[in-house]
Amino acid sequence: MHDKTVRRRRALLVLLVVLSLLLLTAYFGEAPSGRLHSVQRGFLTVVSPIQDGANKALKPVRDLFGGITDTFHAKSQRNELRKQVDKLHRELVNDQAEKRSYRELLTMFHLDNQLSVANYHPVTATVVAKTPNIWYSTVTIDKGEAAGVHVNDPVINGEGLVGKVTQVASDGAQVSLITDSSVGVSARIGTSNATGIVQPKVGDPNDLLLQYLPANMQANRGEWVVTSGTVASHNDSLYPPGIPIGQVTSVNEESAYKSVNVHPVANLHNLDVVQVLTAASGSLPSNLAHLASTLPSGQSPGGGPTGEALASTGAVR
Amino acid sequence: MTPPSAGLLARIGALSVALVLIQIGVVSEIPLFGVNVDLSPLLVAFVGLTCGSTLGAATGFAVGLLVDLALLQTLGVTSLIFTLIGYWSGRLRELRDPQAALTPLLVGAAASAVSLVGYSLIEFLLGVDAPVSLELLRQIVLGVVVNTIASLPMWALVRRTLEGALPDDPRRRRRRRAYATGGLSPLSRP
Repeated sequence: MHDKTVRRRRALLVLLVVLSLLLLTAYFGEAPSGRLHSVQRGFLTVVSPIQDGANKALKPVRDLFGGITDTFHAKSQRNELRKQVDKLHRELVNDQAEKRSYRELLTMFHLDNQLSVANYHPVTATVVAKTPNIWYSTVTIDKGEAAGVHVNDPVINGEGLVGKVTQVASDGAQVSLITDSSVGVSARIGTSNATGIVQPKVGDPNDLLLQYLPANMQANRGEWVVTSGTVASHNDSLYPPGIPIGQVTSVNEESAYKSVNVHPVANLHNLDVVQVLTAASGSLPSNLAHLASTLPSGQSPGGGPTGEALASTGAVR
Repeated sequence: MTPPSAGLLARIGALSVALVLIQIGVVSEIPLFGVNVDLSPLLVAFVGLTCGSTLGAATGFAVGLLVDLALLQTLGVTSLIFTLIGYWSGRLRELRDPQAALTPLLVGAAASAVSLVGYSLIEFLLGVDAPVSLELLRQIVLGVVVNTIASLPMWALVRRTLEGALPDDPRRRRRRRAYATGGLSPLSRP
């Protein structure tokens, strides 16, 4: 009797472990359109309304705890922000004059309103789930194919760039945040022309790395890092130019290229409402994204800034 | 070995679904010291510690699959790790039946450590391009610490939910009687 129990227990363990390994191998080896991925998307479609309901019902609890943790940071942030406001007031005066000139130039060359976020047909979505571990920085949103969301669509919120869509179901989608190891964004510092690739430092959700900048480039702490509006490889997302990603926290001097540490501007720990830039078919962003996807491959981010497959949204009409 | 009752299975199922929903909808949104509490490995470990290795492993597999499906993660990774956590904690109960007050804390800490380190190892094996940095180690250690803090309330929740449906364990019955009578049968007391 005892032997039978032991045998049964061990058999169950072996069965479950083998089943897990089979699932892992099959899932890892198949294409995103494969059966297991489809099952997963189907499951998301089924549970998405439940998650949405649970998310709304439990929002007060989340807000309560979020409020408590936010209070701890509020005081130090207030002092920092006061200094920034003073600085920004001074900059605003200069920028307003420059903005006027810029608008005039855009109108002169018929580029006005071609590349604004509104032209990307933003779809507002609510975050209904978030991964709890340090290896996947993803969130699930309640809008999917039915709302025009596609894989690789950029995702932003009121603060700045959040990430891109990596999987879509009919009524939900998975968004990989900019801190996820699978995401890389072409970016530049402030108003400089040199572009690099922003990639996460895996295991540190509060830090990004802007790599492959020219060694002679000047970068100062506190400068803004924004999207460059270019893609670095043929399967990248085409982010609109000028979306804030974060601020420079430190500069690393390396051999051939310079890299800087960037603190994300969007609070990725507390995402509630986001916008998916869907770039409806036929729009300029959609056409440019299509053009970028047809560029020859083989120009990986590691190829450096000179190897960027340029589909500059500012250069193509 | 008596098969688990339908009531016990229903309670484990309901508890697992509710906790996974709360985990991904609420708890994951609240960072503590820069990391998130992960209730799933604690749930699996405590089900194993309460119900034994067979139910622990099966619950681990099911909860892992649910987490991977709901979060669009690589299927099988969480199932594999949670199956081992559930089985191991169940074996701990069957072999030692630890009764110390610190047991849930130690089991919770160990389950969290196995979960975080196991995850990291599998991700490295699957080819995630990431350096083994001090920051990563810090995140793992902090993750274990915050999960250990969450262990006691999780243990209380799992025990309270399941104890009404558990089959009567002869060893526990003997221990309860010994506690009540000072180790003697009521008939032999003076």
